[in-house]
Amino acid sequence: MPEKVETNNAKTKKVRFTDMFAILLSSKIAMVGLVIVLFWVFVALFAPYLTPYTPYEQDWKAPNQGPSAEHILGTDELGRDLWTRLIYGARVVLVVLPVSENISLPGGTAIWGVVVALLIGATLGLIGGYKGGWIDELVMRLLDAMMAIPVILLYLIIVVAIGASAVNVVIAISIVGVPGIARLVRSLTLDIKTREYIRAAETRGESAWFIMFVEILPNTRGPIIIDAMLRIGYAIFAMGTLGFLGLGMPPPSPDWGSMVAKGRAFILTGNPYAALWPSLAIASLVVGLNLLADGIREESMRYQ
Amino acid sequence: MIVFILRRFFLLLLTMILVSVAVFVIAESSPGNIAKNVLGAFISPEQEAAFIRQNGLDQPMYVRYLHWIAGNDWIAEKKINMPLKRITTEEDFEEWWAVRKDGALIRWKVDGDDLVAIVLTEDGEKTEYIDNERWEAIEDGKQEFWGIDRQNHAVRWVKGETETMFVFVMGKGWMESSGGPKDYIPLKKGFVRGDPGISFRTGRPVNKSLWTRLRNSVVLAGTAFVIVMPLALLLGLIAGLQEGSVRDRFLSVGGMMFSVVPEFATGIFLTLIFSVWLGWLPGAAVLGTSAPWEKPMMLILPVLTLTLIELGYILRITRASMVEVMKSPYIRTAFLKGLPYKKVVFKHAVKNALIAPITVIMLHVNWLLGGIVIVEVVFGYPGLGAYLLESALYKDFNALEAGAMIMVLVAVGTQLVADIIYTFLNPRIRYA
Repeated sequence: MPEKVETNNAKTKKVRFTDMFAILLSSKIAMVGLVIVLFWVFVALFAPYLTPYTPYEQDWKAPNQGPSAEHILGTDELGRDLWTRLIYGARVVLVVLPVSENISLPGGTAIWGVVVALLIGATLGLIGGYKGGWIDELVMRLLDAMMAIPVILLYLIIVVAIGASAVNVVIAISIVGVPGIARLVRSLTLDIKTREYIRAAETRGESAWFIMFVEILPNTRGPIIIDAMLRIGYAIFAMGTLGFLGLGMPPPSPDWGSMVAKGRAFILTGNPYAALWPSLAIASLVVGLNLLADGIREESMRYQ
Repeated sequence: MIVFILRRFFLLLLTMILVSVAVFVIAESSPGNIAKNVLGAFISPEQEAAFIRQNGLDQPMYVRYLHWIAGNDWIAEKKINMPLKRITTEEDFEEWWAVRKDGALIRWKVDGDDLVAIVLTEDGEKTEYIDNERWEAIEDGKQEFWGIDRQNHAVRWVKGETETMFVFVMGKGWMESSGGPKDYIPLKKGFVRGDPGISFRTGRPVNKSLWTRLRNSVVLAGTAFVIVMPLALLLGLIAGLQEGSVRDRFLSVGGMMFSVVPEFATGIFLTLIFSVWLGWLPGAAVLGTSAPWEKPMMLILPVLTLTLIELGYILRITRASMVEVMKSPYIRTAFLKGLPYKKVVFKHAVKNALIAPITVIMLHVNWLLGGIVIVEVVFGYPGLGAYLLESALYKDFNALEAGAMIMVLVAVGTQLVADIIYTFLNPRIRYA
């Protein structure tokens, strides 16, 4: 019996993936988004091979320069190569999470923020939605209170309390993301809970945790995937904002937001590039992700 | 209906309390840092301890929270046995004085072993005299006195025993001096009585700068709002009416792009275009002491940045709502009974299509507040957002907490208003 279920799953998965691909191909907007996103993923993955410099290498003879043959995008106020810092910045966002000086985890800071938020938010949403009663009421009221706090204020307070580092950026992003995800998962759970297969599982005597995580959670994936894609966009947005406010990564690391904040001081003295490139980078990546998510959502609605 | 509003109001109150506790606990969980920020990184542990005690930061958290919320002048009044009064001087400083039986204001300083009283008469004259009768004997033959010092603390002096203290000197910051008392109660009226305390950064009452900053922010946000609303609603309706057309694609994709790009990036792009390349507008909002409306040129770029960000968001919601309404049966009925297109759109569709965006916009205030903070920082605009950031980075609790509470009040208050408006517009969700 379990084997049969598995093969069924595999089949539907295959169909789903080809569907997904067809959707992507048929939507020009999604394709544009995909190309932009893939570009940034590519440069982030292969950053060390795409530049002769390191992001920390200072050239005090050539500070605040415009684009040239040696430095294709110019240099910042300490003579660091902007292209190098830009693509290493993309690496921090999308590919690695620098936990400490020597340890870094695979998966970018923004990705981790969303994943942690998903884990906590989905658990709270499942518990609230499936158990109901006073647990639901309590969880939801607390999340309501959290949602009432302006996001920027949460960031400020969190960073003031725990300081600025990559891990704390992840914590800040996930705390802000949890209420939204929990609400989404809860509403989906309330709907799925009434289905027959849940009744069947209950009759079989499965535990509440099994039902929540094995029966309900996988069936909420559709809306969650689109939501998560938008959320990665938000997370990158948030990372940039935190960095810009001086609440992001500690100084020497190549962080887009703090690059803009530093470069801003030199705009009026004639070197706009140090602020322009990271602004463009973050804008293009966020827009790309949103185009992709929008395109997929629209096309998949059309197919339904 | 009234029950519903009361319920929402109660929830608002609950949220405020929760948030205030959270903000307070998180912000004040590491009081050591404020001393280092204020006095420099190289202070000795004794100096740090003296500063923390002087500002009442050595009290347990719940005591500090209560004092911050409800004030502590009533505690001090009991210790001193005199009523206390807060006055505002001509230089706009707030001073606490004790009120003598004859109505004159009085405070004290210690000069060697002598207690010196300073009396302020109604015409602003200050006179000093030696006031040693007030010393009260305690055990070990020592003498103590509870009074008001010159830095707005209720303090306990012990004769012959003084400690290091820190005094805020205008223009110089916090300076060390001797002759300090044993115990301190930093006097404040408490947040709910309209006194959020003294800013460590400026040495002035938070109230002073907060309201100017808030006013500047309100001008900024208000101007942006007045421009965005009609524009976004109009464009959204146009896009929604022509769903799928080139114009619609252009508006909704364009709107999306503007609304998802971080505010600081938009701000940088606009600065580069309008102030560096075209040279039309100033790139930073340098207001000095003047009000924003006195220098409207400084407002243009910040307002434009906010407008672009909010425009896309509201436009998309309006569009979606309009599309939905146009597909509804009653619109089809209106068309089928032969009403002209214009009449259907303006009389039947628009009114219903606007319900969703107007309430959603109210709920969007949280995001708008974030946008304002960034825009203020990008352009150096002296508003509440920039003030909050500066206070947060400096760990200037009193300022941070006051600013945070105002922000939360605005956010939660608009949500309450949105809820109430929504129940009027859409009776189906009433009493929910």
